[in-house]
Amino acid sequence: MATSRSEPAPAESLRKDAHGDPPFRTVLIANRGEIAVRLIRACHEMGMVAVAVYSDADASAAHVRLADRAVRLGPPPPTESYLRIDAVVQAALDTGAQAIHPGYGFLAERASFARAVEEAGLVFVGPSSETIDALGDKLHARRTARSVGVEAVPGTLEPAVLDRPDHLDRIVAEAERIGFPLLVKAAAGGGGRGMRRVAASVELHAALVWGSREAESAFGDGSVYLEREISPARHIEVQLLGDVRGRVVALGERDCSLQRRHQKLVEEAPAPGLTAEDRRDLHERAVRVATAAGLRNAATAEFLRAPDGAFYFLEVNTRLQVEHGVTELVTGLDIVREQFLLAAGRPLSEAALAAAARAAEPAGHAIEVRLSAEDPGRDFAPSPGRVLRWTMPAGPGVRVDTAISAGDRIPAEYDNLIAKIMVYAGNRDAAIDRLRTALDETEIAGIQTTLPFHRFVSRDATFRAADLSTGWVGEHWDGPGAYAQAAHSAQLAAGLAALEAAMASGDANVPATPSRTPTRPTRGGRWHASGLERAQDRWPR
Amino acid sequence: MSTPPRPDLAVAGGSDGRPLDPRAVRVSLAPSSARAALAPLVLEPPEFPAVAVARVVDGGPVEARLVRLDHERALLLGTGPDGARERVLLLPPAHAPGTDRSVVRHEVVVNGWRVEVEVEAAARAVLRERARRGRGVAGQSGPIEVRAIIPGVVVSVSAMAGDAVTAGQQLLVVEAMKMQNELRAPWDGMIERVAVGPGETVEVGDVLIVIA
Repeated sequence: MATSRSEPAPAESLRKDAHGDPPFRTVLIANRGEIAVRLIRACHEMGMVAVAVYSDADASAAHVRLADRAVRLGPPPPTESYLRIDAVVQAALDTGAQAIHPGYGFLAERASFARAVEEAGLVFVGPSSETIDALGDKLHARRTARSVGVEAVPGTLEPAVLDRPDHLDRIVAEAERIGFPLLVKAAAGGGGRGMRRVAASVELHAALVWGSREAESAFGDGSVYLEREISPARHIEVQLLGDVRGRVVALGERDCSLQRRHQKLVEEAPAPGLTAEDRRDLHERAVRVATAAGLRNAATAEFLRAPDGAFYFLEVNTRLQVEHGVTELVTGLDIVREQFLLAAGRPLSEAALAAAARAAEPAGHAIEVRLSAEDPGRDFAPSPGRVLRWTMPAGPGVRVDTAISAGDRIPAEYDNLIAKIMVYAGNRDAAIDRLRTALDETEIAGIQTTLPFHRFVSRDATFRAADLSTGWVGEHWDGPGAYAQAAHSAQLAAGLAALEAAMASGDANVPATPSRTPTRPTRGGRWHASGLERAQDRWPR
Repeated sequence: MSTPPRPDLAVAGGSDGRPLDPRAVRVSLAPSSARAALAPLVLEPPEFPAVAVARVVDGGPVEARLVRLDHERALLLGTGPDGARERVLLLPPAHAPGTDRSVVRHEVVVNGWRVEVEVEAAARAVLRERARRGRGVAGQSGPIEVRAIIPGVVVSVSAMAGDAVTAGQQLLVVEAMKMQNELRAPWDGMIERVAVGPGETVEVGDVLIVIA
């Protein structure tokens, strides 16, 4: 079934790294997109051979090009490629990989996958299958938190039964007890999939069925439960690392309050406005839950902060987070590298312990924006397509994690995240300035992305004032209005360009024929004659 | 200092009955970008090329200048009261599909927004409008086609031909990028035809349902 492309790994990639032998000789990366690229880079830095897997939609994708070997999994739909546990494990066995890193999404939080990897005699780079069961299942995680005295968001602790009509009354009664508005959430969920807001009991059943169906489609598990909606709330999460000896540390927290449809848009570290005491308290709670669940490797404990400053435990993500980069920028720690070392059974590194010791008093500030193929003028509707122009920012304190280049097609089958633009600076204000500048440099054409939204955020006074909540986007962002303004400017710009041609030919009926000839401004040409060169010198700087 | 920059191109919006300059152009939003209700813009060369004031008919004075930075990048200057300055990306033109070769379609990127516009000679647009009016406005009362606005896979269809639907009623669900998107009836009516079924892949612009 699996056809594979393989090249001999260069001998130098197997050299020893500074901390001793590479933790593994060969690692299979069970993911695609920017995270696969990020993981392959870490493998190569550590002197490990990286094996990619791909679907037919990704045959020439960046992660396939960068890897030392690549194995085809199947057709584009995830269920026929990246979600095929048997095919992924077989690919690892066929290529001699000793470990599999799942990245985020796809199989990253499936205990059945971790178990299959373990049973095949391979190492799963992430928490053990038992920990994923205990924490990845949100209901189980809520029960675990309660058992160690960490207060969770009020809600149910068992999955709702949907196929028995006689159970409906019981669900409605529980919902009344929790109070409306509440959220229907997928036990296996993440990223807002399978999640529905319910304002009144009449909507409950439809929301449960809908959420269950979406959860089934996204995760292969349709279990749903109820949770009170805390609003306005800030979303704050703690990055955790644990080793085989049972030691768990917190590397710091991130604020991910800017979301739409419960998907994060902007993340920053540290969370603004917390005292060192707040941080210590929060980190300690996160460590307590993770220790109880026997965390070995990386995970993130998510909390909601109510307007009165109280923290409520939300869930634990037993995987590398999309936004791990901001914690890396603030701590100077390479979390993926730590994951590989921990997976090989090594104790928490000196670097990780040092970072944890500084976690309550972080140095500097990092912000990440998630550039997605979505239309922020149409309620962030997906907008797949072909990327025609692609210029990413650079410069001091700017990090871009992406797998896209100009000419690539963004497939509709997968997550719409196309790049993570991160900035780091000495303090939050400087980081926002750096973000604004970086986003102004960013150029994309061919598809609509969330870039206009992020530029807006980087200029917004309430964002700068750290007046954050999970409802921020709905309260501050006027997508259609911003689009209309830009559309008017686009009309003007295109009209002026056409008029320029019409004035040169004397008649607009001879439209500038589509041609590829670049009208490059050259000295002595139209550029010079038009006086634009002087105009350029005169722009206000 | 040196002589002021040439007032490259000025803008006149609308028409005051004066004969159109043969060089005038008309820019409208392409159907794919026509979410903002913006009227087509008619641009004429400045009357006195030495003075940077546009002849304006409606909507107040609009004055704009395009300064090219390279073959695609440009600066749009002074389009707002505060003399705003916007970076724009003008992609090479292509002929608009379904039109004769006199209409040219551009993708323009302004402030991160991707906008598709159609450009043609203003005089030609006037003739076309006249011809269309001549044919009479027969449409409007006919069946309305509901088309896909995102590509994806149809998950479920909850309406059948012959069903009476009310505005806002869910008609079908399209899944794209793992998100389920509900498509609702834009207005009251009778389902005349359901053009897709569950499991089918749809592209932007595909007819999904026809409401009479």
